[in-house]
Amino acid sequence: MLRIENLVKVYKDVRALDRLNLEVKPGQVYGFLGPNGAGKSTTILSLLGLVFPQEGRIELLGEEVFQNGRFDEGKLVKAKARIGYMPEHATLWEFLTPMQTLDVIGEAFGIPKTERGKRAKELLQLVNLWEVRDKKVGKFSKGMRQRLLLAQALINDPDLLILDEPMTGLDPKGIAEFKEIIREQRKAGKTVFFSSHILAHVEEVCDTVGVIVKGKLRVEGNLDNIKREFLRKAGYTIVLETNKPVDFSGTEWNVTPLGEAKYRIVAPKDVREEVHDFVASQGVKILAMQVKEPSLEEIFLKMVE
Amino acid sequence: MLWGFQLEFKQSLRTKKLWVIMGIMALLYIPVFYIIKRFGGQDLTAEAAMTFLIQFVTGTAGFFIGILALLMGATAINSEIEKGTLRVAMSKPIKRLAYIGGKFLAHSVVLLIALLLSTLIGVLGVVYLGAPLSGQLVEDVLLLNMLLLLAMIQLVALGYILSTVIKSSSSALGAALVLAFVMFLIVPNIVSYMVYKEAMDSPNPSMSDIEQLQKDYTTKYLFYVPTSQVGVITSDVGASSDPDMENLEYNGMTYAIRHNLVNFGIIVGMTLVYLIVGFYRFTRMDLR
Ligand SMILES: Nc1ncnc2c1ncn2[C@@H]1O[C@H](COP(=O)(O)OP(=O)(O)OP(=O)(O)O)[C@@H](O)[C@H]1O
Ligand SMILES: [Mg+2]
Repeated sequence: MLRIENLVKVYKDVRALDRLNLEVKPGQVYGFLGPNGAGKSTTILSLLGLVFPQEGRIELLGEEVFQNGRFDEGKLVKAKARIGYMPEHATLWEFLTPMQTLDVIGEAFGIPKTERGKRAKELLQLVNLWEVRDKKVGKFSKGMRQRLLLAQALINDPDLLILDEPMTGLDPKGIAEFKEIIREQRKAGKTVFFSSHILAHVEEVCDTVGVIVKGKLRVEGNLDNIKREFLRKAGYTIVLETNKPVDFSGTEWNVTPLGEAKYRIVAPKDVREEVHDFVASQGVKILAMQVKEPSLEEIFLKMVE
Repeated sequence: MLWGFQLEFKQSLRTKKLWVIMGIMALLYIPVFYIIKRFGGQDLTAEAAMTFLIQFVTGTAGFFIGILALLMGATAINSEIEKGTLRVAMSKPIKRLAYIGGKFLAHSVVLLIALLLSTLIGVLGVVYLGAPLSGQLVEDVLLLNMLLLLAMIQLVALGYILSTVIKSSSSALGAALVLAFVMFLIVPNIVSYMVYKEAMDSPNPSMSDIEQLQKDYTTKYLFYVPTSQVGVITSDVGASSDPDMENLEYNGMTYAIRHNLVNFGIIVGMTLVYLIVGFYRFTRMDLR
């Protein structure tokens, strides 16, 4: 569906993409995560031929659109016909109404006039802009603009939806509605690729996430797998409270005393049973044992460090 | 191409630049004709009226619409990148060349409308002066407008190049204004001064010698100022053998162009060069 190989993009002095490799399979909802300036937007703009990378390969919907340092515009146009794109901080034409905007965009795809009108109505209702369909976009709030941007990305019923930070500027209700739209896309068998720097935004809707840091893909995979992988690397943390101090010498765990009879134990895996047995062997009673699972936010911060 | 055209056409007609500049120009026309009428415009012959009309429109419309063209071009691309509309447009199945081609066509049409409007005001002004209109009017006015349009297109294309080089549209606007003043006022005046000095140095310069010198210098040193090149051409629409410009003979636009083919060629050539450079840069640039 979408494949990026060894993509390099250098702006004057910034190496924004540094041999980036990434693949999105048909039907996936892929969350593209990364801190500010990591290269998310650059990746997306490169996919659509809006910026020119220097090296690498891009395959979109089976078309080899970029290779040997150049775009094949014919193939790009062919691929774009089946793509919906929502840019980050963009406005649409201020002098047009939502209805006119969708009409103009629909025309770019060669959708017949009556069909465009029908589709525009559906989409404006979907994003809750139907009441303001005849108001000028220039008078819209940030969130309303964002909704219209989403609507225009859906006008051609795209097979691949590419969204750059689609949830910024939306209120909680808007975010919930947006997530619902993504879920519907997934149900319809569409592929979605969207970027965010907020983990909570991708958590509920994405089946796969990739984390880009400094132009390179750091981690990729299923969210649960990433979590497990992280736990394996970062260690498994247990907070233990006992009635008497315990002598932990001779164990392989990393133990930090937190108080008189309170410890933090970090081990490469789940060692609750072992800890239980070890403490019992010293005749000490366990008052409390707590497993500390890192939050997604913590994992994310660790990964981008 | 049609898609980009329609969008840009609607957008251009809504810009303040267009109407502000057209407004200023119209305001300037009124006192000019009024003054001429007050001070002996009555006995204007048809020949003199045509010559005046053509040279006046060349000077005024060339200057004002020239500035408009340059400003329009200079903000055409960068402002759309700033707003983000260009990224939306170019994410659709539209080729870059088709898009910029459509945009260019829209700008040309808008400029042509502006030129025709200003010519119309000019014609009304001549009628107001009470000068008899000759039958050649329509043909020559159209020829003049085509020539001026070519010059305006060159300025738009130059603007496009600015727009791809300067990232910020407000900086580009400033740069275009400076460029307009340099091109339309400063450099032509320097060249006129050079002509004046050269003429002073020669022993016994005649009027036609100086005119010829002005033409040569303009051709040589102002080849990048399309309005000056049009000026060279239109200076030949009317000619008079006596120094008071009394018995003016009207030669017409066709004659003027045919007699200044070099200048015509310069306008066409420079326009092509700017267009090719501007379009090429647009098709290869990062839209962010
Ligand atoms: N036009 C430009 N000229 C120079 N450097 C640029 C340009 N655009 C982006 N960059 C740099 O490229 C890098 C990647 O930027 P990009 O916008 O792709 O990041 P991002 O992951 O989308 O960040 P954000 O979360 O802030 O949107 C950054 O270091 C940025 O400073
Ligand atoms: Mg970004």
